Amino acid sequence: MSVFYFVAFLSVFFALMTIFTKNPVHSVLYLVITFFTFTVHYILLNAQFLAVVNFIVYMGAIMVLFLFVLMLLNLNKDTEPLKSNLVKFMGVIAGMCLVVTLAGSFRALESSESIILKDPDIGLVGNLGRVLFSEFLLPFEISSILLLTAMVGAVLLAKNDPKKA
Amino acid sequence: MSAIITLSLLAILLLYLGLFKAGRSLLPISLLGLAAALVMYVMQWAGDATPIYSGMVLFDHYAIAFSVLCILVTMLVMLLSKGYFDAASVHVAEYYALILFSLTGALLVTSFHNLAMLFIGIEIMSVALYILAGIRKKDFASNEAALKYFLMGAFSTGFLLFGITLLYGASGSFDLAAIKAYVIANPQGVSPLFYAGILLLIVGLAFKVGAAPFHFWTPDVYDGAPILITTFMSTVVKTAAFAGFLRLFYFCFIPLHDFWEPVLLVITIITLFIGNITAIAQQSFKRMLAYSSISHAGYMLFAIVAIGPAAASSVLVYAGAYSLASVVAFGILILVKRATGSDHFEAFNGLARKNPYLSAALTIAMLSLAGIPLTAGFIGKFMMFSSALADYQVLLVVLAAINAAMGIFYYFRVIVSMYFKPADRDEVTMTAQYQAAIWVAVLLTVVLGVYPTLLAGLI
Repeated sequence: MSVFYFVAFLSVFFALMTIFTKNPVHSVLYLVITFFTFTVHYILLNAQFLAVVNFIVYMGAIMVLFLFVLMLLNLNKDTEPLKSNLVKFMGVIAGMCLVVTLAGSFRALESSESIILKDPDIGLVGNLGRVLFSEFLLPFEISSILLLTAMVGAVLLAKNDPKKA
Repeated sequence: MSAIITLSLLAILLLYLGLFKAGRSLLPISLLGLAAALVMYVMQWAGDATPIYSGMVLFDHYAIAFSVLCILVTMLVMLLSKGYFDAASVHVAEYYALILFSLTGALLVTSFHNLAMLFIGIEIMSVALYILAGIRKKDFASNEAALKYFLMGAFSTGFLLFGITLLYGASGSFDLAAIKAYVIANPQGVSPLFYAGILLLIVGLAFKVGAAPFHFWTPDVYDGAPILITTFMSTVVKTAAFAGFLRLFYFCFIPLHDFWEPVLLVITIITLFIGNITAIAQQSFKRMLAYSSISHAGYMLFAIVAIGPAAASSVLVYAGAYSLASVVAFGILILVKRATGSDHFEAFNGLARKNPYLSAALTIAMLSLAGIPLTAGFIGKFMMFSSALADYQVLLVVLAAINAAMGIFYYFRVIVSMYFKPADRDEVTMTAQYQAAIWVAVLLTVVLGVYPTLLAGLI
């Protein structure tokens, strides 16, 4: 349990650092560390496959891509959009409302008896595959439409239109 | 299900047709495919519905009715698209395919029986629209619309997912039947997580339907996107989002009505007032329609606030009336904008003298949107108001009546422009497809206004 609290503290801490740091590159690096702590959470929850995917795809690939994009964008203080204090104030109020709602609902929960896993291999890829290809077969197949849509769209937006004569 | 498969394959076929430069056959083939899907849905009506694919989708009468409405409106929008995309880009086939993909997502949203399907359906619907909104790559407003829609949509998806997660945490299932069983089994002691989940789902879905205070993206996106895409967004997508919204609440959350009713009531009232008051101030016809779509979202929320057995049919009638009238209004706006280059109210000045039939069609559409008797819009508003009154929501109905009066004011501005403000102008010409789409929509509006039982008694 103490491991969980330590990792949870790190997650929250680095997530806050992601928001509060001024430099966008630092911000992304903090986000990478946040994702790393999530990976640790997944391992603690016995979701090994999810942990590996999170580590390789999200932390490794997507965040590095993010970093490249940020460097290409050449962000600095001059290009930072102005945020008025009113907007910040409203944002804080709205965020706090969400925190209060969630905190309220979590507080009323009682912690359950610690569960002994019947099947310690439950988070392995074999079990996941069995669920994906039996119960969740339809959403799994339909996601292909989502990916195809995104792919068509990406090509469409990136492709240069030939100039009209 | 066969209809959804047909539509996905149709979209892929269109992509291939685009590859082989068969530009002329795109529209007829899309319409044929849509008609085939329509027939498949209608044939499913008679059978008894059970959840299929391990309870993922359920094609009950509710799902079929809304799906048929979505497909029908898409056909009308496709008819309006003749020659529209050519001006924007050479990749016409891809745009048709994206519209069909978006429609596929919409159909999944109307027929989901598992929260995973709701999520995937909404995503397919939205991802295609993010791209379609940005078709005009050189147009700043179009870029802004696409980016804004994408960022807001992704943000609201976060809320939706978080809500789904909490529901799963409380009930242990994504399946609507299992969640319903959980709520009924614990009428008093539903886990607090469940309440937080409902609130987050309301936030996420209110974003998607464009209800205040989550409406900020709507005017800019509707205004910036090409008119045809705006038509699709404000009709098919809105109808599907409402169908999904109502389906979730009607299936699962009725026992907890006392908890979420005040929240939705406040959202409804704010939506009505913001939509109508800002619509009055608009000078652009397109932007006025964008704001009025917010207020229509408010009227449609009535059915969810006063949820009951009649809610489904009143949303169906209202969404149908609103979609048909919107198709007419946006279709004529495309024609007028093409002729004059402007989408302001002044662009309509003197239209009645040169194009009497077109003006009559637009007048009927405006009357329907305003809710004047003998049009479908009146029946929709009537059903909404009576269902709210049956739930003793007197204050809501009084406020809504005030808003309907405001609505009449801004809808009549364009009628006044057309009939009473003379201006020298050329006759607006239109193709046979435009005529077909506009007259079918007008005819359906009037028929539904005179014989509302055709649609009202369906579900």
